[in-house]
Amino acid sequence: MKEKKKVPKTSWKKKDFLGWMIMLPSIILFAFFVWEPLIESVRLSLYTAKGIHTEDFVGFDNYLRVLRHPDFMDALKNTFVYIGWSLVIGFAVPIIIALLITETIHFRSLFRVGVYFPNIIPGLATVMLWGFFFRPGNTGVLNILLSKIGIESQKWLNNAALTIPLIVLTMTWKSAGSTSLIYMAGISGINPELYEAATIDGAGIRQRIRFITLPSVFSLAKTLLILQVIAVFQILYEPLVMTNGGPNNASISIMQLVYNYAFRDYKYPMAAALSVMICIVLIILSGIYFKLTTKKED
Amino acid sequence: MFFEKYRKKKDGTIRFYDLHSKKIKILCILILLLCFLMFIISIFPAIWVFLGSFKDIKEFRKSETILPNHFDLSVFAKTWKDLGFLKYYMNSFISVAGSVVCAVIFNGLLAYGLAILRPKGHKFLLGLVMWSLLIPATTSVVALFVNINRVGLNQSFIPLWLAFGANAFFVIMFKQFFEGLPSELLEAARLDGCGVLRVFQQIVLPLSKPIIAVIMIFAITASWSDFLLPYLVLDGSGKETVMVRLFAFRTSNATDVEVLRAVAFSMIPPTVLFIIFQKKITEGATMGAIKG
Repeated sequence: MKEKKKVPKTSWKKKDFLGWMIMLPSIILFAFFVWEPLIESVRLSLYTAKGIHTEDFVGFDNYLRVLRHPDFMDALKNTFVYIGWSLVIGFAVPIIIALLITETIHFRSLFRVGVYFPNIIPGLATVMLWGFFFRPGNTGVLNILLSKIGIESQKWLNNAALTIPLIVLTMTWKSAGSTSLIYMAGISGINPELYEAATIDGAGIRQRIRFITLPSVFSLAKTLLILQVIAVFQILYEPLVMTNGGPNNASISIMQLVYNYAFRDYKYPMAAALSVMICIVLIILSGIYFKLTTKKED
Repeated sequence: MFFEKYRKKKDGTIRFYDLHSKKIKILCILILLLCFLMFIISIFPAIWVFLGSFKDIKEFRKSETILPNHFDLSVFAKTWKDLGFLKYYMNSFISVAGSVVCAVIFNGLLAYGLAILRPKGHKFLLGLVMWSLLIPATTSVVALFVNINRVGLNQSFIPLWLAFGANAFFVIMFKQFFEGLPSELLEAARLDGCGVLRVFQQIVLPLSKPIIAVIMIFAITASWSDFLLPYLVLDGSGKETVMVRLFAFRTSNATDVEVLRAVAFSMIPPTVLFIIFQKKITEGATMGAIKG
C-alpha cells in the first residue's frame, strides 16, 4: 500500500479501488464477527452436529425441536412480559429524568453525570450488585432500607410475580441515564421562541409541556422505543445471573434458552435455530426502526 | 439567590418570567429535590458496594445496617490476594488495550472510506453496517464461537481484540465526525499530491483527536465490561478477565463479602475513568446516539 504516494489525479477506478483497499481489513473483521456468523447460524441450524462439527442435513428438525420444547413457551411468554414491563417502567423513566433535569438550573451537570454513572458500571457487576439489594431476609439491602420505614421483608426475586419487574428495574437503573441524555439534548434543542409564543398566548407550564415539549420529543421517543424493544428482546445475563431463569422458569428469557442449549447442553444446532428465529424478529423490528427514522428526516 | 439563577435558563419549559407565581417557585424547589433523589438512587448502590465490602462475613450476615463497623482497608488487600485479582486485572488490561487499538484503527479506517473516500458501492456497505448496528452480536454468538474454535483462536485474546474492530456503533460515530471535517482542507491535501493514506494520517487523524478520545473511552469501558465472548473464549485458559472471574462466582463457594469485594474491584477502573473524563463521556453519549 505504499505506491499511493504519487496519485494527484487518480482516475475514478483507481480511487474506488484505493477506497475499498483501505476499508478491506475492517470489512474482513465485520464479515468474520458479524455477517458470516449470521449466515453460519442459518447453516448450523439445518444440520445435526457433534460438538462443533456439523454432520447430517436435517432441514427444519432443529426448529421443530426448539418449538416443541416445553421451555420455549415459557421463554416466549416471559419475553413479552419483559417487554411489557420495560415499557411500563423503562420507557417513561428516561423522559421523566430528562424533563426534570432540564427544568432545574442548579447542579445540572452534577445530575447529568450522576444519572449517567450507572451506565459505566459493568453489566455483570450491576446485576450482582442488585442481586444483593434484592436478597430475601434481613441482610438484603432493600429489606434493610424498608425495615426502617416499617415494611416487612419481602422475598423479592424468589417471588415469581416480582422477578421480571425487578430485573427490568435493574436494567432501567443501568441504562436510563444514557437514554435521558439523548432526550435532554432533544429538549434543549427546542426553539425557545416557541415557549415564549405559547406563554404570550396564555399557556401555563402544564400546557407548554403537553403541547411543546412532549410533541417535540415524540419522534425521538418512537425510535428509542424500538431500540429498547430490540434490546429487551435479547436480554440474557440479567436473568442468567440474578435468577438463572427461576423460580421455576418464571424469568427465563429466549436468549437464555439459546445460552442453555449451546453452552450448557452443547446442542449447537438447536441454539442456532433459536438464534435464527430471534434474528428474524429483530430484522422485522429493525425494519420498523428504519421506517421511523427515515420518515423523521423528511 | 436561588431563583435569580433562572434568569440564565435558556431551555426547558419554566422561564424566569414564570417565577412571579408562588406555585411555580414551589415547583422549582420540588424539581430540584426530585433531581437530588434521582442522583442518590443512581449512585447509592455503587457506594453501598464499597461500604458493604468493609464488613466481615459475620457482620455481613448478622448486622442490618448499611454502614460497616470499621473501615479497615486491609480486608480488601486480603481478598485481592486470596482471589488472585492481580492476574485478572492484568488479563483485563491486555484485553482492553488490544481492543482499544483495534477499535480506533479498524473502525476509523472503515468510516474514513464511508465518509470521505466514498468509493463506488459504498452505500451498500453502509447499509450492511447500519443493519449490524441493529442486529446485535449476541444472537449470533453461538456461530461466532463455533467459528473461532474452527480457526483455532480459542483461548487467545486475539478474537476479543479483533471483535472490537468490527463495531458498527463506533463506525457511525467516526463517520459522523469525519463528515463534519472541512472538506476544503481534505481537497487541498489531495491536490497537493497526498495519497489517501497520507490524507488519513496527516490530516484526518490529527483533526480527529476529540472523537478518538471519546471512542477510546467508550471502547475501554465496553471492553472492560464485556463478558459473554471473553467467557466463551477464555474460560479455563488462565487468561480469564475480571468479568469472566466475576461470572464464575455464580457457581463457586466464595463467601458473600468476597463476592462483594470482587464486584467492587470490577467497578474501580471504570469509575476512575468516569470521574476523570465524565464530561467527555456524557457528551459522547449524546453525540453517537442522536442520529445513530
